[in-house]
Amino acid sequence: MIKTARFWHSREGALVLPALVFYLLVYVYPLSRIAEWSFFAPDFTLKFYREVLAEPTYFKALGNTLEISVLVTLFCLLLGYPLAYLMTTTSTRARRVITVLILIPFWTSVLVRTFAWLVILGRNGLVNRLLVEVGLVGEPQKLLFNMFGVQVGMVQVLLPFMVFPLYGVMSRIDLNVMRVARSLGAPPHKVFVHVFLPLSLPGVAAGCILVFLLAIGFYVTPALLGGPGQITLATMIDMMITTFLNFGFAATLGIVLLVVVGGIFALVSALLGLNRIVGGGSA
Amino acid sequence: MSASRIALWVLAAVLLTFLTAPIVVIMITSFNATPYMEFPPRSLSLRWYANFFSSPQWYDTALLSLRVAVMTMIAATVFGTAAAIGIVRGSFRGRRALEAFFVSPMVVPIVVIALGFYFLFTGYQLLDTPLALFLGHTVIATPLVIVMVRAALQTTNPAMEFAARSLGANFWRALWHVTLPSIKAAMGSAAAFAFLISFDDVVIAIFVAGPDSTTLPKRMWETIRFEIDPTLTAISSLLTLVAVVVLVAVQSLRRIGAADRME
Repeated sequence: MIKTARFWHSREGALVLPALVFYLLVYVYPLSRIAEWSFFAPDFTLKFYREVLAEPTYFKALGNTLEISVLVTLFCLLLGYPLAYLMTTTSTRARRVITVLILIPFWTSVLVRTFAWLVILGRNGLVNRLLVEVGLVGEPQKLLFNMFGVQVGMVQVLLPFMVFPLYGVMSRIDLNVMRVARSLGAPPHKVFVHVFLPLSLPGVAAGCILVFLLAIGFYVTPALLGGPGQITLATMIDMMITTFLNFGFAATLGIVLLVVVGGIFALVSALLGLNRIVGGGSA
Repeated sequence: MSASRIALWVLAAVLLTFLTAPIVVIMITSFNATPYMEFPPRSLSLRWYANFFSSPQWYDTALLSLRVAVMTMIAATVFGTAAAIGIVRGSFRGRRALEAFFVSPMVVPIVVIALGFYFLFTGYQLLDTPLALFLGHTVIATPLVIVMVRAALQTTNPAMEFAARSLGANFWRALWHVTLPSIKAAMGSAAAFAFLISFDDVVIAIFVAGPDSTTLPKRMWETIRFEIDPTLTAISSLLTLVAVVVLVAVQSLRRIGAADRME
């Protein structure tokens, strides 16, 4: 019996081979080509890396990328936490409605949603017309091609990536613990701060890391809704390829981006376990 | 209801409006009779939809997107399902590490992946071909298939497969008649999402597609950057509709999957 099981198991294990070969050829090999382009021109050189470090423009792009990502993560947490809390504590039917309202935009093309913001936040768009009509502002405001536009667009896209991991953790918290604390005389806000909040922290960590990682590599939204002050590593890589045909720099910036993301990902999966991070996105 | 509870609901309503506003506004705007993308429209028409279906420069790109998405869906589902079964049922060293590797394209910035494809396909003269798009999309769609099928496999009972084997079924028969039927709902859902990932991709298309392989999102991207064409609002509504259809399909598959487990 044990022998059969073992034989069976080894056959099953072989099923990973097609995907493994495909990944090595079409995923790992291309990534190694990036590294090659960043180190060889055509002989081994560190000139691209030296120039990235010496040129303020590239440093600025790295700074922009981190600034945008930190802000997006913060906004997603501040907005997503109460929403996930409500989903945890409300009726099944209300939660189902909320989930559907999150999932439909979540699975709609990012390009479509970004284009929609161009229409909504434009000079004569819905928001500006409302603001002027209500009398909050005298003339249409500049809501696009700046940090505001980028934040609106990216938070709209990334908020579900915060809410799902948060809800995943919160829904496993035993609400009876809170009832016990209440019955022992603790006021609601104390119950929340001392019981619920600490138990939900793994979800906070998972959501923040996921949103931050995705924000660092984000391309479409900063490219369309941002201005010159929001040039990120991702948009700069595209510029290097399509406008300047500077493959060496594009490759080097790609490696920088990869190292930043890979470093955070490796650190976090070691600390928290992989399932917490990737489990939420597929909800 | 307490005051804090009401505040929570108000915030939730604002957030859900914020999340759905882009697609709702763009769908309503798409019925404008004028080219000014007014919201709400003063007069209604279907002219932008007619424009989309009657101009080959839009319609052909949609057909290419469809072809690439169907091929990607098939390849990603086959690779992903096989890999997930191998990871869950197999017993070999480094399974966790292999799984992390398989899922990693989800967190590697897509721009970096696309840049890699650019270098790869330039080298083999595959730039600006549907094949390049298909290979690239399969890389970004397979991880989700693995995650979803793996989750489904963990709820099934491997004893059924052992039973089939001990009754004389060979490896492939047990796989085909026992394992796959028990996860077919998850495979269907994963396939639907793989289709959508390919159909909506713009970043890989920006890097590897050219005049001979322009997908619908790539054409949209170019149009948005140079002029704002109201036809985009009609296309946006149609793409939203595709996403809704996929979600409804996944939802019904989930019910089938639940029923399968009850049996």
